[in-house]
Amino acid sequence: MRTLRTRLGFDQRELQSRRAFFDIQDEDLARLAELRELALKHMDDINEEFYTHLLSHPETKRFFPDDATIRRVKRLQREYFLGLFEGRCDLEYVENRLRVGAAHEQIGMSPRWYIGAYRKYLSQLLDRFTNELPVGEGRIGYDSVLKLIMFDMSLAIDAYIAANLETLGRHQAAIRELSTPVIKVQDRILLLPLIGAIDSQRAQQVMETVLLRVIEEKAKVMIIDIAGVPVVDTKVADHLMKTTAAMRLVGAQTILTGISAQVARTIIQLGVDISAMPTLARLQDGIELALSMLGQQITKAST
Amino acid sequence: MNAHGPIPILRVGSNLLTTVHIDLHDTVAEAFQQDVLLAIERTGATGLVIDITGLEEVDTYVARILADTGRMAKLMGAQTVVVGMRPEVAATLIRMGYMMEGVETALDVDEGLTLLIERQAKKRRST
Repeated sequence: MRTLRTRLGFDQRELQSRRAFFDIQDEDLARLAELRELALKHMDDINEEFYTHLLSHPETKRFFPDDATIRRVKRLQREYFLGLFEGRCDLEYVENRLRVGAAHEQIGMSPRWYIGAYRKYLSQLLDRFTNELPVGEGRIGYDSVLKLIMFDMSLAIDAYIAANLETLGRHQAAIRELSTPVIKVQDRILLLPLIGAIDSQRAQQVMETVLLRVIEEKAKVMIIDIAGVPVVDTKVADHLMKTTAAMRLVGAQTILTGISAQVARTIIQLGVDISAMPTLARLQDGIELALSMLGQQITKAST
Repeated sequence: MNAHGPIPILRVGSNLLTTVHIDLHDTVAEAFQQDVLLAIERTGATGLVIDITGLEEVDTYVARILADTGRMAKLMGAQTVVVGMRPEVAATLIRMGYMMEGVETALDVDEGLTLLIERQAKKRRST
């Protein structure tokens, strides 16, 4: 399985440039490693305070439904916290941080709460550093930890965006496939039931798919059923007319069916002229018309 | 709404017949148009006869409602014939330059229905 890091194309070069931008020097990492002891000392009280904060807000509380969950995330949080004071910032570290972001995306915690939680963390660290360290040292130490936490945050946001884009891509592909189901009714008669709103992009795609299928099937008649299209405005009508014109160029006729009372009124009130194609209220009549265009008809079986 | 109730729409074979006996204005006209179209949607009628014998006056608004209804019905696959137009009404409409494009007209209900039935028969023969 490919790691999250390689899926995101996060390589050594990206690591170098990002570390440079966040100004994470080796000295920072060394300093953080030195602060590990202090971190260990305060790990538990920082963690407790942190979860008290999260649990006192309904928006974040809902992510921790029971004690078992809380125990588990507290343990993970300790690991995360100590990770800041390991004195390392390499590709393995990046993978670990990306996974943290992806995990939060998966449970549906949005970045605003995630970033808000980081704020709490930073405040706590600032508080401990100023109290326990000499003035100059505390400030420098805090600066180092701030760099690394901001770096972590950037990785988490990367993971969020990547996960969202993946979901979006999957949905778009599914919609593309579902949006133009061309069905063969009979030899040389095709049917396209359109469902849902039609925008320019979809109309364009409908035209291309339909043209391809018409040529593939050597179809003479294309029935477009718009019973499932909620709104037929001038734009949609224009797309339909263009599709009809394109259809004629490849030698096929278009029949428009599924025109409801509402749609009929809209088309006439908008003053749209779609008289270039036969229109019918019912798909059944459309199929009969299509058959008659090919010199065929449906008859009762003789007994 | 109007005091007369909705304008009745009757089914005659595969056609619809409606007699307009009240002034087609504003809400009445809208409701009439909607009722006719819904009736076509429901019945799958292929023809529509609108009888306006009862209308003594037809202004351009009403004429347009009738013509629009005819064109809407056409989109749904039903041919419309407007029948029973009084001579003075016809003269007025022509004088106002309104030719009722997009709808057919006939003398009375009988002629209108015959026209539709003949057309439907011809269509069937040609297939």
